[in-house]
Amino acid sequence: MKCKQPWTRASMIALIFLPLWTFAQTKMSDVKGIVHSEDNHPVIGATIVIRNTQSNFTTGAKTDTAGLFYASVPAGGPYHFTITSIGFEPKNYSGYQLRPGTTFTLDVSLKAAVGSLDQVVVVGYGTQRKSSLTGAVASLNTENLQQRPVTRVDQALIGQMAGISVKQTTGTPGKAFSVQVRGAASISAGNEPLYVIDGFPLSTAAPGSAGSFGSGNPLDNINPDDIESIQVLKDAASSAIYGSRGGNGVVLITTKRGKTGKAEISFNANAGYSKAVKKLDVLSGKEWIDRATEMINQQWVKSGANRTAAQSNDERRTLLGLPASGIDINYMTDDRWTQPNYGGLKFIDWQDEAFRQAALQNYQLSARGGTGTLNYFLSGNYTKTDGLVKKTDYTLYSVRANFEVKANDRLKLGLNINPSYSITNDPGVEGKDNILHQLVSATPVQLFDAENVNVFTYDRYPWAVSNNSPVAKLLYFIGATRRFRTLTSLYGDYEIIKDLHFKTTVNLDNTDNTSKTYQPNGVTVSSYSTRLASPNAGTYGALSQYRRQTFVNENTFNYNHNFGQAHDVSLLAGFSYNSDYLYANLERSSGGFNYSNITTLNGAVAITGNSTETQNKLLSFFGRTQYAYKGKYLLSASLRRDGSSRFGNNTKWALFPAASVGWNITDEPFLRNVKPLNNLKLRVSYGETGNYNIGDYASIALLTAANASLNNTSVAGQTQGSIVNPDLTWEKSQTIDGGIDFGLFNNRLTGSIDYYNKITSSLLLNVPILATTGFQTYLSNAGRVKNNGWEFELNAKVINTKDFSWNLGGNLTLTKNKLVALPNGQTQIVIPSSLGDAAVHSILKVGEPIYSIYVLKRTGVLSQEDIDKGVPLYTSETAGDPKYFDANGDGVINSSDRVIAGKPSPDKIWGINSTFRYKNFDFAFLVQGQSGGTIYSLLGRAINRVGMSSLENTLGIMRDRWRSAEEPGNGITSKAVTSTTYIANTDWLYSSNYWRVRSITLGYNLGKALKAKQINAARIYITAENYFGHDRYYGGFNPEAANTDVSGSTSFPEAGDYGGLPLPKSLILGLNITF
Amino acid sequence: MRNILILLAIFIIASCKTDLDLQPVSSVTTDNFFANSNDFVQGTNAIYNDLLRYPDRLYNLSETRSDNLYAVSDGGVRDWEGVNDFYNDLSTNAYMSEAWVTNYNGIFRANLVLENLADRGNLVTDTILRTRLQAEAKFLRAFFYFDLVRLFGKVPLIDKTVLAAEAATIGRSPVSDIYDLIISDLKYAADHLPSTNGTTSSADTYATADRGRPTKYAAKGILALVYMTRSAPTYSMEGPGLGLNEWQQAADLLNEIINSGNYAFLTSFTDIFSYSNEYNKEVVYNIDYTSGASPSVGASYPGILVPDTYFSAISKNTQGGLTIRPVSTDLLNSFEAGDIRKTFTIQTGYTNTNGQVETRSFLKKYVDITKVPTVTQDWSINFIVLRYTDVLLLKAECVLHGASGSQGADVDAIVNQVRVRAGLTGDKANVTLAELMEERRKEFAAEGTRWHDLVRSGLIISIISAWITSEDVQNKIQTFTPDYIIYPVPKSQLDIAPGLYTQNNGYN
Repeated sequence: MKCKQPWTRASMIALIFLPLWTFAQTKMSDVKGIVHSEDNHPVIGATIVIRNTQSNFTTGAKTDTAGLFYASVPAGGPYHFTITSIGFEPKNYSGYQLRPGTTFTLDVSLKAAVGSLDQVVVVGYGTQRKSSLTGAVASLNTENLQQRPVTRVDQALIGQMAGISVKQTTGTPGKAFSVQVRGAASISAGNEPLYVIDGFPLSTAAPGSAGSFGSGNPLDNINPDDIESIQVLKDAASSAIYGSRGGNGVVLITTKRGKTGKAEISFNANAGYSKAVKKLDVLSGKEWIDRATEMINQQWVKSGANRTAAQSNDERRTLLGLPASGIDINYMTDDRWTQPNYGGLKFIDWQDEAFRQAALQNYQLSARGGTGTLNYFLSGNYTKTDGLVKKTDYTLYSVRANFEVKANDRLKLGLNINPSYSITNDPGVEGKDNILHQLVSATPVQLFDAENVNVFTYDRYPWAVSNNSPVAKLLYFIGATRRFRTLTSLYGDYEIIKDLHFKTTVNLDNTDNTSKTYQPNGVTVSSYSTRLASPNAGTYGALSQYRRQTFVNENTFNYNHNFGQAHDVSLLAGFSYNSDYLYANLERSSGGFNYSNITTLNGAVAITGNSTETQNKLLSFFGRTQYAYKGKYLLSASLRRDGSSRFGNNTKWALFPAASVGWNITDEPFLRNVKPLNNLKLRVSYGETGNYNIGDYASIALLTAANASLNNTSVAGQTQGSIVNPDLTWEKSQTIDGGIDFGLFNNRLTGSIDYYNKITSSLLLNVPILATTGFQTYLSNAGRVKNNGWEFELNAKVINTKDFSWNLGGNLTLTKNKLVALPNGQTQIVIPSSLGDAAVHSILKVGEPIYSIYVLKRTGVLSQEDIDKGVPLYTSETAGDPKYFDANGDGVINSSDRVIAGKPSPDKIWGINSTFRYKNFDFAFLVQGQSGGTIYSLLGRAINRVGMSSLENTLGIMRDRWRSAEEPGNGITSKAVTSTTYIANTDWLYSSNYWRVRSITLGYNLGKALKAKQINAARIYITAENYFGHDRYYGGFNPEAANTDVSGSTSFPEAGDYGGLPLPKSLILGLNITF
Repeated sequence: MRNILILLAIFIIASCKTDLDLQPVSSVTTDNFFANSNDFVQGTNAIYNDLLRYPDRLYNLSETRSDNLYAVSDGGVRDWEGVNDFYNDLSTNAYMSEAWVTNYNGIFRANLVLENLADRGNLVTDTILRTRLQAEAKFLRAFFYFDLVRLFGKVPLIDKTVLAAEAATIGRSPVSDIYDLIISDLKYAADHLPSTNGTTSSADTYATADRGRPTKYAAKGILALVYMTRSAPTYSMEGPGLGLNEWQQAADLLNEIINSGNYAFLTSFTDIFSYSNEYNKEVVYNIDYTSGASPSVGASYPGILVPDTYFSAISKNTQGGLTIRPVSTDLLNSFEAGDIRKTFTIQTGYTNTNGQVETRSFLKKYVDITKVPTVTQDWSINFIVLRYTDVLLLKAECVLHGASGSQGADVDAIVNQVRVRAGLTGDKANVTLAELMEERRKEFAAEGTRWHDLVRSGLIISIISAWITSEDVQNKIQTFTPDYIIYPVPKSQLDIAPGLYTQNNGYN
């Protein structure tokens, strides 16, 4: 809901004399103007018919991509103007006298015809009317963007479009999310789409195996307020024009342009606060003492003959042979646990200590306007988002200038420049053994306050885990990432002959990223005596930097012509050059620091470091033909040939063809009279796309350093580091898509349905090979993955009156993912675990979704009767231990009893959005959810596992644990002290189903109330983001979190949750003013 | 204008078509390798890199599996638990794949050097060096195969570099075939490697800088152990023992080492392992380590049996030992009073930083607390694979099995010499095989030989079964069967080529 201007009155602007145009012929008069929609989008291809009602002279003009038109007519009049465009209500102006040598300017605002399907959408290398589209293209309604406190563009995509799944993998502000278009097709080569900003294809996002984007994400530092529209090319027919990078879909982002007319100054501000949507249920101090006492007593009784739980600490000391003040925390409780007020011990709720109410603010000032020869959009933005936990925040300063100069009738030049600078502070909150993980497992009973637990000069509580206070880590760790990015595009568009345009663009994306890390001794060394003895020894510092430069030159010829009113032809031919260079270096301290209080590396005892550079180039030729007969029969075909330096000499080049057809059935005579049906289109497409996301030199055999030691000196050794594959080729996806677009009841109900079937073959897969080759894997093209699904989008203008309107939209995605084949007839690959064999939990198995969960099935708690009956046991289990399902029926429980118990991807994703307007009030909401997937939680495993020590804290379900045959608890939770160990099982498998009200907004338009002439529009609003929702992830905070490398192998990049932050829920007050 | 655009287009196309052949900026490619002597030396050095974790493997798969350690569950999940507790699902254990993968990687690197020496060895103009590199590669290849045979029994025989498709046709060869390659390689090494290190190099002398490369006598010593291992009972399985009688061949080789005069029996037990006394007269073959290098060529083995909390307690950097792997009561009790080897080899308890007393013991033979590295797992101390005392005791073992020699001079005297150095009485007479093995256990505790010694002696079934009965008060160790003498083939290998390898008996 952009600021609405009082467009209801006729928007004819008075005659303006422009010195620039005074050279026009004396007998002629110029007419120029802009046609735009009510919400200020340029209307492209609108027809302007100009008729002198006296002389009957008639001429016409069409608007260009900026909505501008121009005509030269004989002076005189009166003139009549008719402006028409498909999807809009026509507009007429009459009775104008045009004086010779002057310019008559029109600013036309067209009202959308109700329920129009005929908006113009951006497609690869051009634009198209939605009615002529033959591929599956999803459009994001960007109206809501400005008033939501989204700090990143990927965040804005959540829940908006069918087929697009955005996983909010992190709760740290400013960090990139994972985006997937139509499911995950690749096992090793990445599944992120290609992002194209204003025609500039950015370097493809490559998440690391821990799920974070270490060397940058294309959406970093992009200011959502600058976005005009977002289109997602989903099927191969539309994305194949991007060839080897189209396999995972293409996201086209268009930023705001200038438009002819007086400057429109717009100021947006919002501010508010956020806090965590949930807290994890862990044991309280009192409950922890209860469990520790039980465990210590049981350990004591088990430790030898004549030892009973009733024995006092003094008696135990005697039996253990300890001195009078000696303690053995395994066998003795703390006397204070039974004293009144617990003898002064502190009970700490660690989550309360670390989480906070965090402030958010965002200010944007922009100006857009133009003279016709120079159009501009300028914006400046400042955003600061504090994180949910102390000391985390994200700050962005960005500026954008989009200029377009019309040098003459044929030549247009443009420049987009977008410098930005961001600072992200994250002391290392998410992931294995990081602050959040330690926070939820920290002992809730302590000697000191939270920030003084085992840090600096404060000693440890003997019965607590030895970690330093995670709250102190938040306070004293430094993890600052400073990123300076400049996106620049320069372009020229030249009309060689009528309707034939040549366009060339030169683009550079330069990112300089510096990350500083500092961890002082006082909060890293877990032993008080070591901290005292060597005050700087455990201090660690690092500085890592990278510079990424993406240079793209694209050149296209575009010919659009309508032959004889019936044949619409659009031809495109082009070539492009694409180079991506990454410089990286890392320096870090070695052996601690010499000084306290110096956080830079000059304080380090020694520094180690290195630097690396990699590069890849892509060269492409492409062409496309689009043909429409009377707007009814639509045909499109494209071909792209890509050559990449990443592939072997035999396979550097590949072809990516696509074709699609469409039929606007409602234009046929036999449907003309079916009243409720305004629009019905059938689309069918087929195309091939690729994925080239492998390392830059994966097809070249590299030497690896393998040093040895001789005579107590390191000696250099080198040997072959991998097996090469000179035939390494592109991962190829073949997609068939069938779709229906429809509009009913005067287009008040519109929607589309798509079915697709995408087979990805020649997977770029690190194929496991026999170790007898000397290697464990090699990169090869093998295996097949199938993704298919249904996508539904529906939009209804339920009520549409002058004072009250209600729009309701929804989308639903149903997907299926299946591994069809593995190389060499293999039927499965069990994914290794970086956490040891007992944590292995996922599998690639033919016939199942990729990365299926493969664990033991937990069936309950063992009773003595079970054991007497001889139910299968896992190692040396006794009553009260977990009971598992003996899948292979061999009478023993072990890792061979694993079964497929779940899959990581949901099979239903849905979103519902709705907007109400009543007079000056507006109200909108977005609800979104998913179901059918599971999360195997490494965090859940870490904080709630069989055989935990009494030191750590654990999940609240341990309250209802099995204590004895008489007190069996809830029948699910096994006993605290066990005689066995844990093995990956369904205990840590949680449903990833959730629903969430992503945003609710209530706004009020002050336009009329203000009555200030300078102010065109003003609106205030309040937004609640993520305020309501529910998930079933009880072993962690965020069912979509990804922060830890699960497999420990780059062959199988799989990211899991080992302590991901909860989502923030925010309350925001905002203001939009337009001058 | 139009012309300029067309020119621009032509320029761009012409300038970038060849650009697609990009060479890496920060890596070296294999295309031009093995082009000169230095390349061949570096290619050979890379084989040694695969020895760096050999002692860790001995600790994890020999020491931990044996009656020396009682490393049952401590509440966490450690990869060593299944090894110690005789789980039958070890095929997915990380130690199995480490052993299989690292050894075959070493074999690949050795084969790569041998093939390139055969193809273009003339690039190594120094013929002495050329022969020596070939002998080194063969020694190392045999060393890796011997480790594989002792751990897994039958393994695939790979004596050249193979690609994935060919590897998928090579099944597990009979143990005797593997031994044929091992023996042939070691014989070549024994015939062609230099005898010693000296200040100037020659066909029979390494330069000082080459200390750590195997000598002729290292090859003879390993070959002797190979003969002895082949002579062990078969236990009715396809394991390392073939039931042969080659004790005499072994004894002859051991005598050559003894008679060479290059080695000596140190009078102080602790001096053998001193950080300032490396390359002492006891060392017949050791793996060299250096700390402080980047990338690291330091040792990890000294710390992996030591609990992290111990290093914390003495204010040192932890070394990745995680939790304690306690020394068995049985080993503790086997030492006689006054045995200096016990206090040197075993740390009995300590008090950790929060005042908690750890009463259990752990092995610390190679741990000098003044030498704990500041970088984790970067110790400098060399690992002795074969030392002179071992040569003597192996010879005694051969004699007890019927090789030439006398009970008094070649068995009892050797055992008594070892005992006296340990601070005990030297009055043993008519030493039996069981007593000899018991002496070896104390002498070589924490040197990784125990499991292999038990297998070779034929005593493993009785000793391990009895030990479990007496030691396993927590009732966590599964019943021991002879199948567990060797380990399972890693599951990952079975999955890659279904049906190519069959799993060893007793494992799923």
